[in-house]
Amino acid sequence: MFPWTDGFHWTPTHIVFLSLFGAALSVILATAVWGLWNTLNAFRQHLAAATCWRQNFGELPATERRCRHELAGRVPSRLCDHAFDCRTCPNYEKFAALPANVPASRAGVSYSDNLLYHRGHTWVRSDWDGTFAVGLDPFAQHLVGSPDAVQLPDVCDEVESEGIAWTMIKNGHKIRVRAPLAGTVISTGGPDRDFYLKILPHGQPNLRHLLKGPEVAGWLAAEVDRLQMQMSNGKATLADGGTLMPDLMDTEPGADWDAVLESTFIDR
Amino acid sequence: MTARYGMVIDLDRCTGCGACMIACAAENNVPPAAPRATWRTGVTPMLVHTLSNGKEGVDRREAFLPIACMQCEHETPCVSVCPQQAVELDKSTGIVMQMPQRCLGCRYCMTACPYHARYFNWWDPQWPPGMEHSLNPGVSVRMRGVVEKCNLCHARYHDALQKAAAAGKKEIDLADYVPACVEACPTGAIAFGNLADPNDPVTLAAKSPDAFRLLEAIGTEPKIHYKTTQAWIRALADRKAARPTEAQHV
Amino acid sequence: MSETALIDRRWIARGAERASTSRFLLWLFPWVCLLLLGIYAAGLCFYYGLNQTNMDNRFAFGMWIFLDLAIIAMGAGAFFTGFLVYILKQTDLKPVLNTAVVVGLTCYSGAVAVLMVDVGQPLRAWFTFWYPNTHSMLTEVTFCISCYLLVLILEYIPVLVQNRQLRHIPSFLVFEHQAHKLVPVLAGVGAFLSFFHQGSLGGLYGVLRGRPFAYRQGFAIWPSTFFLFILSAIAVGPSFLMLVVAAAEKITGQTLVDFGVYRKLGFISGVLLALYVAAKAIDTYVWLNITSPRLGFGPWDYYSYWPLSSTFLFTATVPLGLLPAILFIVPRTARHRGLLLLAAALTCCGVLLNRFVMTVQTLALPTLPFDPFLKYIPSWQEVATFGGVLAYGVIVYSLSYRYLPLFEATKGEAKNVSLD
Repeated sequence: MFPWTDGFHWTPTHIVFLSLFGAALSVILATAVWGLWNTLNAFRQHLAAATCWRQNFGELPATERRCRHELAGRVPSRLCDHAFDCRTCPNYEKFAALPANVPASRAGVSYSDNLLYHRGHTWVRSDWDGTFAVGLDPFAQHLVGSPDAVQLPDVCDEVESEGIAWTMIKNGHKIRVRAPLAGTVISTGGPDRDFYLKILPHGQPNLRHLLKGPEVAGWLAAEVDRLQMQMSNGKATLADGGTLMPDLMDTEPGADWDAVLESTFIDR
Repeated sequence: MTARYGMVIDLDRCTGCGACMIACAAENNVPPAAPRATWRTGVTPMLVHTLSNGKEGVDRREAFLPIACMQCEHETPCVSVCPQQAVELDKSTGIVMQMPQRCLGCRYCMTACPYHARYFNWWDPQWPPGMEHSLNPGVSVRMRGVVEKCNLCHARYHDALQKAAAAGKKEIDLADYVPACVEACPTGAIAFGNLADPNDPVTLAAKSPDAFRLLEAIGTEPKIHYKTTQAWIRALADRKAARPTEAQHV
Repeated sequence: MSETALIDRRWIARGAERASTSRFLLWLFPWVCLLLLGIYAAGLCFYYGLNQTNMDNRFAFGMWIFLDLAIIAMGAGAFFTGFLVYILKQTDLKPVLNTAVVVGLTCYSGAVAVLMVDVGQPLRAWFTFWYPNTHSMLTEVTFCISCYLLVLILEYIPVLVQNRQLRHIPSFLVFEHQAHKLVPVLAGVGAFLSFFHQGSLGGLYGVLRGRPFAYRQGFAIWPSTFFLFILSAIAVGPSFLMLVVAAAEKITGQTLVDFGVYRKLGFISGVLLALYVAAKAIDTYVWLNITSPRLGFGPWDYYSYWPLSSTFLFTATVPLGLLPAILFIVPRTARHRGLLLLAAALTCCGVLLNRFVMTVQTLALPTLPFDPFLKYIPSWQEVATFGGVLAYGVIVYSLSYRYLPLFEATKGEAKNVSLD
């Protein structure tokens, strides 16, 4: 390669040829490095969880991306294009100002007006000491029943919004539950306590993306409909006189739980 | 100092004895052919072809044509195609040099050569026990997977250079540089000389009307010339005669 | 379901319809056997040397080089589809983009693997990069193919990490998100590299002054075969892609793409093929009447070896060139799926024949006036290695189809209905 190598000759075409290839190779390596660098940065800036969430959201079918304002009856038909993150949605205030119009509760599953709900089926409760308790909502509880195993984060671990808060194993299925807000884990609970995690956020958290009040009924009704459709292949009976039956993963083992869990916890 | 070493081979004198082929193999440390080798897989930097005029009975004529690397001078086909610059035309001698230690064994040069003067080492070289004593210490042995060809016994040129340098001369004495095939030929059919020297007998022989080169029209300017008075050989060489159906070799 | 089947199921995208584990293993089994046989044959060549093949000093290039050229022509669908989708904005071809990447990756990596077996000293492969001879077409081919293989790997990684289990690793999913923005750049670089190496593969033969059958004049340093090879490669790429997708549909029993995609690929293939036939006809005329006679060789030096040589010329241009072009372009025939796929198969055969003629036939034809027309039959080791590469392609594609979202249409395109 070097000019003084015996039996090797440098010519002007070498300059042209190697420059062109150098350029092409540089572009290729630059794209790879750029991709890796941005990935690293996403983790450093705590954006990784949000990115994964958006990737998963992007692959949801249209029927599962209905905007909360449609579910609350504020608008006739609208699909979310913001990964359910109302905190940064430019249209939120415009629609939130409209009156809600939820039909009479036919959710078949209970919910509380004092709690905030994440679309990954967790609830959030603001406690007196500035922490936020997070638990599994009744809809998810009706599906999962009593999990075979729960893997909670350790105290002092950080959770990221839309990152994985905890995982549960049930009947061989691994369920990864999304964190509704970001913060440090102060204490852990479990299925036998009235919360799963207590989180201390950094500063005042923005919880605009969580559902509250009458829109929760509209959302849960839609979720029950979706569940009905997904499980009807197995001819499952979900509601007994209007209420969702408990322990569905145990009582209906033949249903397509992969699809149900994927849609419920928005985790492909 | 620039020489253009070449040959004129007199086809009227070649008897097809094959001594040139054997001398070449001995000089260049060509190993004995492997049991499965054929004329198409052997390493034969010098290869004698049999020609015939295709007729039978009293009208049949045969001749022998030795082929080695033609040392092409103009746009040497094998030089431009080697991806590793393992082949180069040495401007000081006119010899096309092959570097086996840089050869990848891609065989592109073999495809490029119209004279089929390049040979691939399909086998590992192996000598029967004791035969290694007959190896020529001046020539390196090639491993399998590389291409080789005639280089006009460049080791002998190197010896002549050293002899001239020892005598304080810059140019070699042509009498000291005789390739193995030229030395071995019993009829003196192969004449070797410096085509850059206008007074060299080989240069003069190359200019005679009986002299010709193979595949002149391709324009590679080979430095191996042939000479014959037999018209049928000229016709064959100039592509005016019928083509044989079988290859024939010594 | 058995334990193995359960584990296997977890690697398949939720809701995706795939064959049972045992059926899939049954499908893979013969291909794995073929691959192992190919690896064994290649191993023999590495251990004993290239005397295991039937190549010789007259047929220095044999079946493997023909295979390499053919496989790279078929793999041209990868760069060309990327070019069509990202540069020419033909987004209706997006469903076959992932397939094109997988096909391209297997074709190019298979070709490189066979090349490593084909050369006498594979450990010296880096010499071409360290001592490049920029006058040689083979140097250009080596550089381009190496760079392009890198591009294909980078294009495949985002597809790979969409696997159900792999995507759970956050860094993979985040990287995939970043990589998507870069794919148009890679498509552009890939197209640039591919144009050059597809052409250089043709240039390999077009520059051979010593082989008047292959030698062509051209433009500057590039013989006409440079441009003809590019044209035939981009003509056959979409056709081969059609055949792969159709085969996948037939084997899996599912409809994977709209018929419109087939028609579009076919139309593109047809137009390019028609252009190629015209260009080839002109080139053949110039070659037989001007270029070749200047080197002292006339048509009868090539076509007197009836029935082979002249039949090849006719076959390559008319039934395998003009006919499929017509079938692709004429609406009445292009509407018919069977005829479309027939045309694709004929196109592939035509390009295969063209590559064969340029590699093997060039060497069979004598240059020296006293040589006969030579014959060559590949040894079982050569055929087995060829089979191994084919099996490798089928296995990689089968695994990709089963575990990766090759045909998932782009989701997440929200349609907002605003209030006012």
